[in-house]
Amino acid sequence: MNQVFLSADSFIISFYRLTGYALIDFFVGTFVLAFISVVIGELTISVAFLLTRKSVEHMQDQMVSYQNLSIDALAAKDKESYSAANKLANDAFGRTFFMQIGLSAARIWPTFFAVAWMNTRFSDVDFPIPLTGWTIGFIPIFIALYVGAYFVFKPVRNRIPYFKKVNKILDHYKEKNRSMKSFADLAQKTKKL
Amino acid sequence: MNRKVWLILGVTIVVAFTAAILLSDPAHAGKLEEAIAKTPKGTGVGMIDPQATPGFMGIPGAPHSFLLWYILWGIWVGWIFSSVGAFGGIMAGVGHITVFGLADYGKSFKDTNPTLNKLLTDSIRVCNQYLVGLSALISSITYWRMGRLVMPLALCLAGGGVLGAYLIPVLTAGKINLSSYIGYFGLVVFAVAGVLFYETTPAGQASRKRAKAAAKAFEDANIHKSKGGASSGNEGVQVKSWGFSKIVFTFYGIEFSFNPVWPVVGGFVIAAISAFIGVGGGFLYVPFLTSVVRLPMFIVAGTSALAVLVSMITSIFTYMFVKSVPIDFALVGSELIGIFVGSILGPATSKYIPEVWLKRLFVVLALYVGIGYTTKGFLGYSVFPGM
Repeated sequence: MNQVFLSADSFIISFYRLTGYALIDFFVGTFVLAFISVVIGELTISVAFLLTRKSVEHMQDQMVSYQNLSIDALAAKDKESYSAANKLANDAFGRTFFMQIGLSAARIWPTFFAVAWMNTRFSDVDFPIPLTGWTIGFIPIFIALYVGAYFVFKPVRNRIPYFKKVNKILDHYKEKNRSMKSFADLAQKTKKL
Repeated sequence: MNRKVWLILGVTIVVAFTAAILLSDPAHAGKLEEAIAKTPKGTGVGMIDPQATPGFMGIPGAPHSFLLWYILWGIWVGWIFSSVGAFGGIMAGVGHITVFGLADYGKSFKDTNPTLNKLLTDSIRVCNQYLVGLSALISSITYWRMGRLVMPLALCLAGGGVLGAYLIPVLTAGKINLSSYIGYFGLVVFAVAGVLFYETTPAGQASRKRAKAAAKAFEDANIHKSKGGASSGNEGVQVKSWGFSKIVFTFYGIEFSFNPVWPVVGGFVIAAISAFIGVGGGFLYVPFLTSVVRLPMFIVAGTSALAVLVSMITSIFTYMFVKSVPIDFALVGSELIGIFVGSILGPATSKYIPEVWLKRLFVVLALYVGIGYTTKGFLGYSVFPGM
């Protein structure tokens, strides 16, 4: 593992030497590192998603159809059918849930390597929190900059053709999700009546 | 609804962050270095050889595996997540405890440096939680977007969950030795084995078949009718009554109720178990909400996701910032690579294996691990080899 960090070290540390001012360099370097983590994470999650697309679609179809059936049963005041359809919807949801847990690892794995590398360089660095007398380590700062990097990358991502294609598929899913009836639909339906 | 969810989540996270930072004690910094320094130097059992190659968490001489080995174990965990479900979290723990040799290594310090022994226990717990919990974070967001939360229930669960997830790390970090931890881990594996076993029994199978038949019958009977035929109703979604002992609400005239005390107590207990063992807790929340609180099942899923998230954030922050437990980030990162690869492979391979046989296989595995860990933890030796 150390070999991996040693080979990456000279590349990453160069971003921490851009201005010559230690504090500014720390924030710039950490932001670049967070940005790289975001980009790699977005790339791998999109590849994982494309590879599992058929399974995800199948599970989602099942989930939507049972959910809608359960809402229809509820609207018909058929509690038994409602419970049955809900049980099946929940089973389908459970399978999707655990699969998504696994797949979402594709988005966050680079952050752990980034933090592991920072640990080799900045484990002793503490930043004082103004007016409190307390200090924080590098991890909260990395997390904050990671969130910032995500929002910086988001508009850029939407202009890259590859991500555009993935977004198009995701938009299609969102449409499908909209076709899923919710309890709010029942409430609205009742109001209209 | 979504705005409310985000607002409440935001407030919860800010409170957890603030509490963690304000309560953190700078004196804990360098805890691992201090523990290493106090350990006898040498090459014997329970000693640290400063010249040895750094391993787990950079400790000289600690177990270290080839990077690919972590990834391969992660693939196994990811494959289980996408084909069986909850047992993936357990397998992640088995990897840290047994496969990577961290338990035996930690136990070697039982007499020479109990502090390091307990620090390694805490670190294993947090590594487990990171693997399961952080991934749950991302998937939870999806469910909030789908608007499937009952806010009063989510708040009750989150309230109990935050307390449980905060108190357990505060009360037990640095106090639980590896043997006890392994014993309790074994007991939790039994619980998971029980759930998996029930799902493979004729009763468990029949329940699913009955549900399918009922759903199909309703679909057939209503297929030519216009949907949403409850024209006479004027109820919609209504909370009928609020009270300390019972909240009653109706969905389109069908009544549901829950005792708000149970979600608070349940949230506390489940978050406490999850934080203690180092798991996400999703496998406990779902049966709890459906069987004990008796809520509509589809709502349970989204609500439990929020509960897992809130208690997991609290627990990880408390371990890391309040109790300064170190973790091996590179190890977790390597395993995460494997987990998403395994999750891609899962759907491709599981269609060739009937689900019920897959679950039976994992019941046997869970019993092996459960008995092995319980005996190892509480008797001092495992009745099964390889534990």
